[in-house]
Amino acid sequence: MWALSVEATLKKLESNPRFMANITFRHTIEAQEGVFEPIPEFVHPELRALLLSRGIVQLYSHQAAALKAVQSGEDLVVVTPTASGKTLCYNLPVLQTLLEDEEARALYLFPTKALAQDQVAELMAWSDELGGRVKTYTYDGDTPGDARIAIRAAGSIVVTNPDMLHSGILPHHTKWMRLFENLKYVVIDELHIYRGVFGSHVANVLRRLDRICRFYGADPLYICTSATIANPKEHGETLLGRPVTVIDQNGAPRGRKDIFFYNPPVVNKPLGIRRSSLLEAESIAREFISQKIPTIVFARSRLDTEVLVTYLRKAFHKLGEPQETIRAYRGGYLPKQRRQIERDLRDGKVLGVVSTNALELGIDIGTLQAAVLTGYPGTIASTWQQLGRAGRSHEPSLAVLVATSSPLNQFMIQNPAYFMERGVEYARINPNNLFILVSHLKCAAFELPFREGEKFGELDPTEILDYLVEAMILRKVEGRWYWMSENYPAAHISLRSASTENFAIIDTTEGRTQVIGEVDRFSAPMLIHEGAIYIHESRTYHIDHLDWEGQKAYAREVETDYYTDANLDVELKVLDVSAKEELAHVRRSWGEVMVTAKTHMYKKIKFYTHENIGWGQISLPEQEMHTTAYWFSVPKDFAGNLDQGALQSALLGASHLLGNIASLELMCEPSDLGVAAQVKSPFTGEPTVFIYEKYPGGVGFSEQLFAAHGRLLWRAMSIIKSCPCASGCPSCVGPAEEVGVNSKEHTLWLLKGALGNGPDQQAAPASAPGK
Amino acid sequence: MDLTSRLRQLLPQASSAVPAPKKSVDLDPLLGGTEVETPLGPCYLVTKQLPLAHRHGNWPLSEVYKSAYTHLARFAPGGGDRLNLERALFLDTETTGLAGGTGTYAFLVGLGYFTPDSFVVKQVLMRDYNEELALLHVVDQELGAKDAVISFNGRTFDLPLLQTRFALARLGFQGASGKVHYDLLPMSRRLWKYKLSSCSLNSLEEHLLGVQRSGDIPGYEIPQRYFDFLHTGQGRLLQDIVEHNFLDIVSMASLLFRIQTVLELEPSQCHCPYEAEALARLALQNRAPSLALDYLHRASELAREDELYLRILRQQAALLKRTGQHGKAAVLWKEILSLSASDLSSAEELAKYYEHRAKDLQAARQITKRALALAWAERSPLVPALEHRLNRIEGKLRRQAAEF
Repeated sequence: MWALSVEATLKKLESNPRFMANITFRHTIEAQEGVFEPIPEFVHPELRALLLSRGIVQLYSHQAAALKAVQSGEDLVVVTPTASGKTLCYNLPVLQTLLEDEEARALYLFPTKALAQDQVAELMAWSDELGGRVKTYTYDGDTPGDARIAIRAAGSIVVTNPDMLHSGILPHHTKWMRLFENLKYVVIDELHIYRGVFGSHVANVLRRLDRICRFYGADPLYICTSATIANPKEHGETLLGRPVTVIDQNGAPRGRKDIFFYNPPVVNKPLGIRRSSLLEAESIAREFISQKIPTIVFARSRLDTEVLVTYLRKAFHKLGEPQETIRAYRGGYLPKQRRQIERDLRDGKVLGVVSTNALELGIDIGTLQAAVLTGYPGTIASTWQQLGRAGRSHEPSLAVLVATSSPLNQFMIQNPAYFMERGVEYARINPNNLFILVSHLKCAAFELPFREGEKFGELDPTEILDYLVEAMILRKVEGRWYWMSENYPAAHISLRSASTENFAIIDTTEGRTQVIGEVDRFSAPMLIHEGAIYIHESRTYHIDHLDWEGQKAYAREVETDYYTDANLDVELKVLDVSAKEELAHVRRSWGEVMVTAKTHMYKKIKFYTHENIGWGQISLPEQEMHTTAYWFSVPKDFAGNLDQGALQSALLGASHLLGNIASLELMCEPSDLGVAAQVKSPFTGEPTVFIYEKYPGGVGFSEQLFAAHGRLLWRAMSIIKSCPCASGCPSCVGPAEEVGVNSKEHTLWLLKGALGNGPDQQAAPASAPGK
Repeated sequence: MDLTSRLRQLLPQASSAVPAPKKSVDLDPLLGGTEVETPLGPCYLVTKQLPLAHRHGNWPLSEVYKSAYTHLARFAPGGGDRLNLERALFLDTETTGLAGGTGTYAFLVGLGYFTPDSFVVKQVLMRDYNEELALLHVVDQELGAKDAVISFNGRTFDLPLLQTRFALARLGFQGASGKVHYDLLPMSRRLWKYKLSSCSLNSLEEHLLGVQRSGDIPGYEIPQRYFDFLHTGQGRLLQDIVEHNFLDIVSMASLLFRIQTVLELEPSQCHCPYEAEALARLALQNRAPSLALDYLHRASELAREDELYLRILRQQAALLKRTGQHGKAAVLWKEILSLSASDLSSAEELAKYYEHRAKDLQAARQITKRALALAWAERSPLVPALEHRLNRIEGKLRRQAAEF
């Protein structure tokens, strides 16, 4: 039934000239047959019977390969797309071992609680059929106290996330003695998620896990799965600190998928303003859902998620559909709400779900048939994952990527060849980022004293440990370093963001005192300042009071026709230069900086029209971060050719554009980077553009940008040249109201000058835009 | 920048003074103990013997020793009817923090026990981290010689922490396993949580044991004091900690006795309304409602403050109702309402009583109206139920009137 409806909708799209006029690229992935292999001889008869009872009479080729690799004792990474039966690649060998040895244990790590929950449901079903011998438990922040004791003693498979391993399990490893003494497998799902800062942290958590395993005499095998990335072997080996075998020949069949790149039409050519991607995505999703096609819409932020849900619900409300047909799904929701939404999705009570990237991960929702992406997700791998969320089964599916006006989006949507040919990103981590490394060495020393000569991963930690002795955090006695502090170090180290403390949002409407959500510390000044409109489940709340010390925001439900958007002002101070080079008209450098961020004001933006209808002040403490940055400056005499205003607009334009394309160069999330422009930098004394890393200490991006300097500037220039707008727009140098009226011209002048009056041909890439 | 300079930039530290290497210090004159040699190396042991005539607060230790400990079974799973004090070990640890986890060390473990002529307190100290195994060895031996452990908050803190230390040593220490554990903190909370604003050991000492400490080191300063000792080797830094731990152990013995004397009280022997109230709750848990009523009655006689008196009356009334003594309960509900005019639940109970038990519909109507007014005023969820009740009562009244 769905299949018919998808094909009919596809025809409808193809014959809709208004839709097709905005399509810059179309790609069909043809259906593919599966490649099968018999279930290997050595598989335990009970397991074989279990497979048969599920109609599995043979394995996909990659599943059989994984099973054989594990059998011969190889640590491995399985790289196949969504819906290819990846979980069987680890569940089979683990269950096989558990059936042979009742004392054996396995530890499963999932990047999110939601995913863990999903896995346990499936494993429970298996376990029931095996007579309850395999006891599977989730251990996360929601696990009640009494259940924790049972899990420690009896859990054959403990399912958790890296954060819980980091803060709950490893620092209390003696309570988990049974698990560690008998640990045979560590399963890590969604390996590609562990990149950047998060991955650098997780690599260190795994180094700690390794130490604890050695302490208990365990030597578990690692089985990992990953979505497609360019460097699964390298990434797996860096993350795990050990050699891995990669299995990447996908044997699973797949249905036909039609992918469209949709660029919203230009509505104001001189200003380069396109129709809102949010509104376009909403109307495309509305079309799908009204055809009863279960659809997922990905939004780029929490705010966009809520706005989309509001719009879609209103639209379907008019058609008499119940509210529940459309649901939001995002990280700020409390666990119980999320689980309910996941169930409703599977049960088909929900036809449209609007999500941030939480669902990009492999939660099993077999019924989704269409995906609409609001904006380029930031990386090619993420894009494929989100496009792949619909159509997990054999049936055909649809996916539409709707571009925003950001330079990165416009570059991608207008250069689909780049998208198709460049291939997916490299996952990069830097486990030896000093800030991260030191944090985890503290945790490791808390867990077990370090012995002289002991390594941490491949590193010799002596110098850092001695520094921590000097800082009176460790004490060295008779060749061992002991933890010497009252603190519990893991409590102060978050794997996912620079700050651990979340702010609670409390609904106080009519005397209620109910927590409706959470916001991390860094986002708090932007999202829950006093006067902010906080949107939750498409209800609008006014933040009456923010208790900064107590980390609570008091909200009251209100009817509004606007939402709020806060600006972040950034100041930046150079602390140390790691490298610099002086060229004719430009000096480039990278090094350590102190970034100070403060929000001063917010705008009130009207729903639907998105016009600015007012503003308010925010007075909250500023936040500091010591990180690394790349920057370049132009000499005063050269810059002197531009007047102050023009120079300002050139710098703003250049930083806006460079910040965007830097993430393309680095293949990282755009949100990992920040930009700052200074007309007369106190450090260089010259007009300067900074691109800094939004993580303490940085993870190595600044150094890479320093090396790519010429290519970056060259690409920025070519984007400006090919942009159809008159004098600057959000797709190139930024909107005029932010960067000044003739920014396009000024920025171009500045970039040309900085490149020595011409493109640096040597640094230009082969697949350059516009060629 | 080299690594150390980068570390200095990234993680600035308050003091970069490298602590002077610790000289081997003589603790004996300061702490009055001695180094002991174990198969796992040396550690330090302070042993004190208090004659039984020694008075700690209100009682001499001989009283503590002589007393029979018979009412404690319900507080210690597996403990049987009687605690044999000669087979029990008082235990209290001083630690490098409160966070728990494998990085929190018990650097000083105080152990106390009775002999026929004295109360012995042994305090085992690790003078540095490398003496932990020896410390654990001594503690393991002492624990192994006894059947029961008596602690203050040991169930959630001291014993799990010691178990963690034993497990980390991976030397098969067994001393802590299979012991009956009497934790005096939850017992004290059961008896005195309404009487005292805090059930900390200091508060119990002051209000119940007649013990006054002077110059005691606050618990939260102890970890840093120990770290300071490690850095400087100044033994006097430990004096306060050792004394603090010693007093904790001796106070535990007194507290045990104090708990026992309260548990033994008959209703008529009670002199404290809070204790009588607490004993009523315990009697109720032992399924002895009539004994509980006796304690509550005694408590109501002793109660001086309104809040306490009302709370006791409410419990009494509820228990009377549960045991079918509705008339007596009604008297108390009336008394409660005379003292606290806005007590909705008593008004509701009285309404039920008049309607169903006394069958006095006029009185039932009057009190239901009053209850409804209270419920409205506090926006209580009972409003619909009360409205329903009022309608029903008025219906009954109309039918009665019609019958006449």
